[in-house]
Amino acid sequence: MEASLFAKFYNYFLLVVKYVSCNFKSHMEYRGAFLSQVIAMFLNNSVWVIFWVIFFNRFPVLRGWEIKDVITLWAIAASGFGIADTICGNGLEIPRLITRGQLDIWMLYPRKLLPHMLLGRMDATACGDALFGYVVYIGFVHPDILHFIMFVALTLAVALVFIGFDILSGSLGFFIGNSEALTLELRFAMITFSTYPLNLFDGAVKIILYTLIPAGFVSYLPIQALRNLSLTDAFLTLLGGIGVILVGSTIFHLGLKRYESGNLLEMRN
Amino acid sequence: MKHNYLQASAKYFWIAKITMRSNLAYFGEIGSRFIFLAIILYIFMCLWRVTYTDTGATYLGDFTFAQMLWYLAITESIILSTPDVSQKVDEDVRKGTLSIHLIKPLSYPLYFLSMTFGERIVRFTMNMCVGACVVYFFVGPIGLSLKGILLFSLAIPLAFILDFLTYFTIGLAAFWLEDTRGLRIIYSRIVMVLGGMLIPIELFPDFVQPIIKVLPFSQIVYGPAKLFVNPSSQFLFTLLLQQFIWVCLLTLFMQYIYKLALERVHANGG
Repeated sequence: MEASLFAKFYNYFLLVVKYVSCNFKSHMEYRGAFLSQVIAMFLNNSVWVIFWVIFFNRFPVLRGWEIKDVITLWAIAASGFGIADTICGNGLEIPRLITRGQLDIWMLYPRKLLPHMLLGRMDATACGDALFGYVVYIGFVHPDILHFIMFVALTLAVALVFIGFDILSGSLGFFIGNSEALTLELRFAMITFSTYPLNLFDGAVKIILYTLIPAGFVSYLPIQALRNLSLTDAFLTLLGGIGVILVGSTIFHLGLKRYESGNLLEMRN
Repeated sequence: MKHNYLQASAKYFWIAKITMRSNLAYFGEIGSRFIFLAIILYIFMCLWRVTYTDTGATYLGDFTFAQMLWYLAITESIILSTPDVSQKVDEDVRKGTLSIHLIKPLSYPLYFLSMTFGERIVRFTMNMCVGACVVYFFVGPIGLSLKGILLFSLAIPLAFILDFLTYFTIGLAAFWLEDTRGLRIIYSRIVMVLGGMLIPIELFPDFVQPIIKVLPFSQIVYGPAKLFVNPSSQFLFTLLLQQFIWVCLLTLFMQYIYKLALERVHANGG
């Protein structure tokens, strides 16, 4: 039993590697466009880093947070988000796939629908995000090897949070019809709240940031874990990521029962 | 002669008016913008509330807490109203539709200016209404006066023209570059940072402030927003003068690039 579980896991791991490699190669067919999107995202994120540099130059400490902490926060959020949508780029497309009846295509494969469908696309801008996070962390924070290993692990845990949230927010389409606009707003809220120190907010908002919009698993716990090299906080981040994935996939499978196929003839792209 | 000028400007006025009306048709978009601005402004409110409380200051860079929030609502409204001029010009160049525009009795840059102006006025007004509602809810009113609004209305058109001139010139770069997206992003991000969209220029390091204040970016975002929250005839005069100088310089530059670009237009067939 254990061996078969391991074999299954290994099999899915190979599938992930194969999909990432194929998606990357297909982006490389349009090298110029891919690179320009990566650079664009890099520049876009740099604006925020510049903002924080200017801000902390004027106000060196913000509720116990220093410039290094905020840069770390940006690095973790950007690379976590980047890894999530580089590997599982179709997570961003769930509402559209539901509305247009395009889940049909993914149902034809002898694989579990959700993980297989998520792997089907790579978001080019997300590669820029992932790269940005690592470059900024190494360039600004100059971590030692222990911090760097912890950072890598945390970005993977944060990626789970983002993948889970993509599934969760995207699955709204099963229940309310065309949810593209609402999903976009929720994702925007998640990303925005993830890039500001959690202790700026108080009361009910903090509760929301650990439940409905789980940005607390991005903007607080990982930073605490890195600051104190705390395995407990790192473990809580991972637990948060797994929790969001579980909730997301439960909602997805509940919603799937309400899914109606379309009669539109479409090719997988 | 005078009659001809009037007739010519009437054409562009009508183009602007038609674009305004067609943009008003997308009034429903206001709903999604409301959530977007509400989240951004809520986060800014938390950030600046903590900053004002921790520093114990009533004024930061000439702004009270409420003024800071109103300032940010205006800067966000200006940035979010930017139309995709360079993308449209880029497409016209690539697809060859530019040659169709050239045979019409219209100036291509002026046609685009009037169209952009009409679109931007509507988008900016919508954003501002939404932003004002959100900020009013969060921090209440600031001492707005008719004079302030009037001064602001004088500065905003030149700010839009300045922004247009740069975006239009970037679009024309499609004659030489494979992809103008990169230039577009670089410019828009420079406007965000050096324009003072996220933080007023008074809070930048002291040594860079004089330089940033004379650059065109701050006259697109920071100048009008500051005028709105802190109206002053003296500031308006300086701002209008700087805007006027930059409009003249960028118009000359755009015309030069446009002339060079037209030399590269090749039209075949009918």
